Amino acid sequence: MSATTTPLLSMRGISKSFGAVEALVGVDLDVHAHEVVALVGDNGAGKSTLAKMVSGVLNPDAGLIEFDGEPTTIPTPAAAHALGVATVFQDLALCDNLDVTSNLFLGRELKRSGGYRDDERMEAMARKVLDDLNSRIPSARTPLSWLSAGQRQAVAIARTLIGEPRLVVLDEPTAALSVAQTAEVLMHIERLRELGLGVILISHNMTDVRAVSDRIVVLRHGRNNGVFDAASSSHEEVLAAITGAPTLRRPRLHALG
Amino acid sequence: MSTDTNLAPAMPSGEKPRLSIGERMSGLGGNARQYGIFAALIVIVLLFQVLTDGKLLLANNVAALFQQNAYVMILAIGMVMVIVAGHIDLSVGSVVAFIGGVVAVSMRDWGLPWLVAVLLGLAIGCVVGAWQGFWVAYVGIPAFIVTLAGMLVFRGLALVVVGETIAGLPSTFIKISKGSLPNFLGFANNMDVVTIAIGVLAVAAFVFSQLRARAQLRKHELHVESLGAFVAKIVGVALLVGILTVILSLSAGGTPIVLVIVGALVVAYSFLMGRTVFGRHIYAIGGNRLAAGLSGVNTKRVDFWIFVNMGLLAGAAAIVTTSRAGAAIAAAGQNYELDAIAACFIGGAAVTGGIGRVAGAIVGALIMGVLNMGLSIMSVDPSWQMAIKGLVLLLAVAFDLINKRRAGTS
Repeated sequence: MSATTTPLLSMRGISKSFGAVEALVGVDLDVHAHEVVALVGDNGAGKSTLAKMVSGVLNPDAGLIEFDGEPTTIPTPAAAHALGVATVFQDLALCDNLDVTSNLFLGRELKRSGGYRDDERMEAMARKVLDDLNSRIPSARTPLSWLSAGQRQAVAIARTLIGEPRLVVLDEPTAALSVAQTAEVLMHIERLRELGLGVILISHNMTDVRAVSDRIVVLRHGRNNGVFDAASSSHEEVLAAITGAPTLRRPRLHALG
Repeated sequence: MSTDTNLAPAMPSGEKPRLSIGERMSGLGGNARQYGIFAALIVIVLLFQVLTDGKLLLANNVAALFQQNAYVMILAIGMVMVIVAGHIDLSVGSVVAFIGGVVAVSMRDWGLPWLVAVLLGLAIGCVVGAWQGFWVAYVGIPAFIVTLAGMLVFRGLALVVVGETIAGLPSTFIKISKGSLPNFLGFANNMDVVTIAIGVLAVAAFVFSQLRARAQLRKHELHVESLGAFVAKIVGVALLVGILTVILSLSAGGTPIVLVIVGALVVAYSFLMGRTVFGRHIYAIGGNRLAAGLSGVNTKRVDFWIFVNMGLLAGAAAIVTTSRAGAAIAAAGQNYELDAIAACFIGGAAVTGGIGRVAGAIVGALIMGVLNMGLSIMSVDPSWQMAIKGLVLLLAVAFDLINKRRAGTS
């Protein structure tokens, strides 16, 4: 894709070890605005580890991170938030007992001058964000416990839009969803791209990945194992890169650097 | 009592044809449970009014009801916050005895003025709360263990401080629990004008806050409840406050001072839980501690302050208790923690945390209080009173659980 423009996020030579286990070795990753990059790989390939570095939960042992072409570090989730990185974690970070608005603004509630919460402004903004995502959640006052798994995922994605982020990291957003719910979530991801955000999508599901992503970055045993253009690469090619099976063609390493 | 209703889910009508009946019923969930427990209180009051041949609602009995149960209500406010955050506090009874002892000693032996002694009691409460909060929040020991230890530690300290009953406390101090507001406005038809004025002011403040909240929603073009429901709510509250005001104004002293204290605490803490960021974070921690942490809520700090606050309120309860007894005794506050915990659960708090309201806990405390008073007027044996209260607690929670299951939200 837009390899000529400055990537929103550029990671170079990222390495991370947990004790003797090398989780990531010299991994590169680029994400542009208006782009959905799928991060795929088998269990333990290092997808989530890489994503956690983007969201500031983990810190790399070695490597360079650039945001907007500027070298930076993301030591904490707060730092990630300040950069404009929003993350939807695999185990949904939502509170069932709170309503949709409260969940969207949890940890960054809007306040009135008196110091107390501005619930009305938050609800109005929540309504707007849900509409931006074309979400079908009827009321922002609905408690999370009444929502379906797909609607919760929509809330989790909507959450990322509070505070005008530039890069959204989605860790397995369609795991454990029904077909219809998956379709709904994929639609929300496309909306994120239309809104001009960069998206990192981690998924096991190749059908989902091919449906929404622009580029597919394959990790295997903590190393880069190919970058594919989602539109022009074949299912077999990508699968071969994930599993390490011998393939007839070498994957085209492009859009890097 | 209903300034903290904004967490209640309000379902806009006619907007979502996709909802099943079950979902629609649970849509009333938050409010229905709150109204349900309130309705239960009214039923129990009416029941005992009949069973006691109208003695329950005699003016002096109603005033005594508040004076006798002020300590439970004060403790229940703090306890509901502890429970909502997913903790428990077993130490409050012992803390009440300990602080009560120190306050009494400070007045009798050290000669402190009563007001300084009261402030000292509240300050010690905060220190005790900070001590327990430290172990819970920053060391990570379950609150059950920390406060079980606190129950022993502070009962022990209470025995040290109060070797023998400390009596002879200043009369001003004793007035906190036993006195009433001065009737400086005189009487009209035998009714204390001060009490009437407070009642009128309370209703006016309620109507004003409701109108303001509605205007805020309107301004942001958000859904508001129908005008009928809105007016019904205001008329209902005004009617109940009005009845209470008239009854109290006919009592021997007028408005008990503790009622003013409890009322102020209820309003302040309903606001804290319902409208502030801190309150929202308490609910979030109780709902999903991990998620709250990931979202940037400082869970340790919230835990810590919840216990500091519980200590503060235990200090207030100690002052009220000591003042009511007119003396400090080492055995004071026995089972107070259980009274407060029971009030919270009767009032709709969830054992798992995340759910519960200040208003609910107060209603729970009143239900227990009315049971106590009604059964006492009927001269039911205290042993049976205890058994009956135990069953009421069990049934209240069972009823709540069955309701939730039927609504399919548990």
